Amino acid sequence: MTAATTSAPVTTRPGAPKPKTRTSVAGPLSQHHFVLRRLHSLSGIVPVGLFVIGHLFTNAQMIWQDNGETFQHEVEFIHSIPALLFIEIALWSAIAFHAGLGLYYTFSGKGNVAAYSYGDNIRYSLQRWTGVIALVFIFFHIATLRWRWDILGLWDTPFYYKGYSVPGMEEQFPALANVPLSAPLTAYALQYSVWVALLYLVGVVAVVFHWSNGLWTAAISWGLTISTGAMKKWGYVCIGLFVALMVFFGAAFVGSLRYDFDAMTPQQKAATLFTVGDGQWAFDDKERLETDLASIGMEAVLLPPEDADETGAAGDERPIVEPSETPGVADDAADHGGDAAH
Amino acid sequence: MIAPATPKTFKVRIKRQDGRDQPAYWQEFEVERRPSQNIIAVLQQIAANPVTTAGEQVEPVVWDSGCLEEVCGSCTMVINGHVRQSCSALVPDLLEDADDNTITVEPMTKFPVVRDLFVDRQRMFDNLVKVKAWVPIDGTHDLGEGPKESPEKQQERYAISRCMTCGCCLEACPQFTLDNDFLGAQAIAQAYYFNEHETGKKLKGERLEALAGPGGVADCGNAQNCVKVCPKEIPLTEAIAKAGRQLTVHAVKKFFTGK
Repeated sequence: MTAATTSAPVTTRPGAPKPKTRTSVAGPLSQHHFVLRRLHSLSGIVPVGLFVIGHLFTNAQMIWQDNGETFQHEVEFIHSIPALLFIEIALWSAIAFHAGLGLYYTFSGKGNVAAYSYGDNIRYSLQRWTGVIALVFIFFHIATLRWRWDILGLWDTPFYYKGYSVPGMEEQFPALANVPLSAPLTAYALQYSVWVALLYLVGVVAVVFHWSNGLWTAAISWGLTISTGAMKKWGYVCIGLFVALMVFFGAAFVGSLRYDFDAMTPQQKAATLFTVGDGQWAFDDKERLETDLASIGMEAVLLPPEDADETGAAGDERPIVEPSETPGVADDAADHGGDAAH
Repeated sequence: MIAPATPKTFKVRIKRQDGRDQPAYWQEFEVERRPSQNIIAVLQQIAANPVTTAGEQVEPVVWDSGCLEEVCGSCTMVINGHVRQSCSALVPDLLEDADDNTITVEPMTKFPVVRDLFVDRQRMFDNLVKVKAWVPIDGTHDLGEGPKESPEKQQERYAISRCMTCGCCLEACPQFTLDNDFLGAQAIAQAYYFNEHETGKKLKGERLEALAGPGGVADCGNAQNCVKVCPKEIPLTEAIAKAGRQLTVHAVKKFFTGK
């Protein structure tokens, strides 16, 4: 019997207690440990990462102060992609897989930045923190803007107006059909509260860091960068990607915060107000808003009466027809003209 | 003008533990300064007169050591919060960085404490067994000349051969804990070392299977503390990356050929 074929027993020192069984990071999935870890790496880079690049680049179009035309064009392009639902499902599966395993792996280690405050070690801990922050942020982002959940009554803004417009609006007011709303509604979401803007800032920095740093570590894990020099060079590429994506985000962020609601067309103004409810605060030029709405005969429908504050009836004047109402009900309301503004 | 005199003594705080799974506690000792003093010498001074600064007569501190020239790895401890060998940790250097004329000495935290500063580093040797870190010849018969080794490969492997199984890389690793099963830089680097040995290659497949399993290379979180604390300056992160490359190639081959 040679040493090669001996599976040598694990030795213990005389008097030493039995070695305790160690919890494996792989746990019940240990048979497929290696494949799962590589898929975890891949699922972060390819579907999620590539989508985020496209997403941030599209959003960057908000920087052109062209009343959101470029941005709208990009959004419509994305919505024109065939089988978008499959892409969405693929993305969700990738995020769920990546996040599920990621959380599992995160708690297998124990950060020690205090004792060993090297840059690489700080990034090891940051990678885990930003992963958790990114997960919370992405959920909040999708839940509010895509699924239109009103989480804790914080913020109720639709993401894309086609398919998410207030039920019945187009039937009541054919003039408001197909009004481009992607830019104003995105801008509205960010201008809504400084906390929302802050959430986006922190959330996107976390996502972008997590992705670019993940790209750096993945190159080592897959055995692409096998020398210290190569790791360093690839690190510069990852920093470049981080900066580029942050520039895209910066453009979207600044563009959204500086978006000029006053410059919109009367139809856009009416449709925005219809969709978001009490949205008058977004308009600096109230006179122009009134004139614009009057020019398409919608002032009475969308603006609360002057004495709304005194009667405390402002809430009731919200022009929103609750999304839970069926289109049929809205149609009935349309028959009664002005009564639609419940 | 008289330059401020260097204090004749300094304090040492030692984290002690009476036995396995016993609670840890701190004790402080005052030690006389001597020329070229290292931490082992300090521990010997304490052993000669084990009285704490509180005036309590205590058991001498237990520690592990061997060569006293930084090649055996057995006297590795956490000194002033940093893992290193106590034989090469010199008092003047340590006091230079200490703010209150005090040096702290603790046992490593990633291995079970046997007593005081003496830890059980068995896990590292078990891991070497797991990854079959040896050349498979048993010496029972003459195998003739071995295969040729290129000088470049020799150079590369020599750097990794300097490993003394001290455990610094594992102590500093955030991914290596007392409870999980991560192999860590030491065993991964040694697996790569023997994979690159012309005769050691015979076991490459078996080693890669071990490295692909739970606790293997894929668990590395690339914090890269290992390479920074390694007293032998072994390019551990490069060895881990190269083992990762071997695994990628191995997995692709296995996927398409089934073996």
